[in-house]
Amino acid sequence: MPISEAHAGRSYPPTEPYQISRAKIAEFAAALGDGDNPAYGGTDPIAPPTFAVVLSSAAWGAIFDDPELELSLSRTVHTDQRFAWNRPLRAGDEVTAQLTIEQVRARGPMAFVTIAVHLVTTAGEDVCTATSTLLHRAVAA
Amino acid sequence: MNVTVGTVLPGFTATFTRADLVRYAGASTDFNPIHWSDTMAAELGLPGVVAHGMLTMGTALRVATDWIGDPGRVRSYYVRFTKPVVVDELAGGEVTFSGTVTAVADGVATIALEAIHAEAKVLGSAVVEVLVD
Repeated sequence: MPISEAHAGRSYPPTEPYQISRAKIAEFAAALGDGDNPAYGGTDPIAPPTFAVVLSSAAWGAIFDDPELELSLSRTVHTDQRFAWNRPLRAGDEVTAQLTIEQVRARGPMAFVTIAVHLVTTAGEDVCTATSTLLHRAVAA
Repeated sequence: MNVTVGTVLPGFTATFTRADLVRYAGASTDFNPIHWSDTMAAELGLPGVVAHGMLTMGTALRVATDWIGDPGRVRSYYVRFTKPVVVDELAGGEVTFSGTVTAVADGVATIALEAIHAEAKVLGSAVVEVLVD
């Protein structure tokens, strides 16, 4: 059975811890044209807020690898994105990302899938929640 | 900082090039071919290579972070991806970003952001919340 409302609430195991480096922060800030912002440089930088997507998108594989859902990344469009931060991500943080399917709204072959990815440090600190809506189009039966 | 509703934040215009998309692909680890292959983009019905929505979202946030100073003050951020930003191989793709304070309460300022490409909004309902003094 492809993805349906019944899958709301399903959670997957967290990703392996990812350690945020100063070099990756600098690379990401430069890619946003914001490499000169002093907050993202020096010895103790914070990450640009949307750096959270590097971590959250690493958790997306869980749903595309779940054979029961019959989802394909190539038939998926990212329609909206929300981030809520308790504090900035910073160099040295070791972070895991855990995905939960929050809501599924199916309309024939189309499904709007809302997923929430919780970013938690290995010290147990809840840093950020990244919530995305994905529009998936099933292949014709 | 004295923040009042209606404050218009300084905006800016950015021209995304194909090189910018390649750079963002590597930095973000989003290697979807619609961001570097005209052929793959066309197969999905797109007019050509398009910018990563997250690149547009992240760049738009600079309107708020340049204004507030410390990007660590950002508490939430939401956008809908309403239209793609088409990035021509030679001319790139131009996006104009702006922002306005729409609410101030309990030490949090709400900022509505706008991103315009080819005379159309490419981000919908783009709202940032930042901590203010």
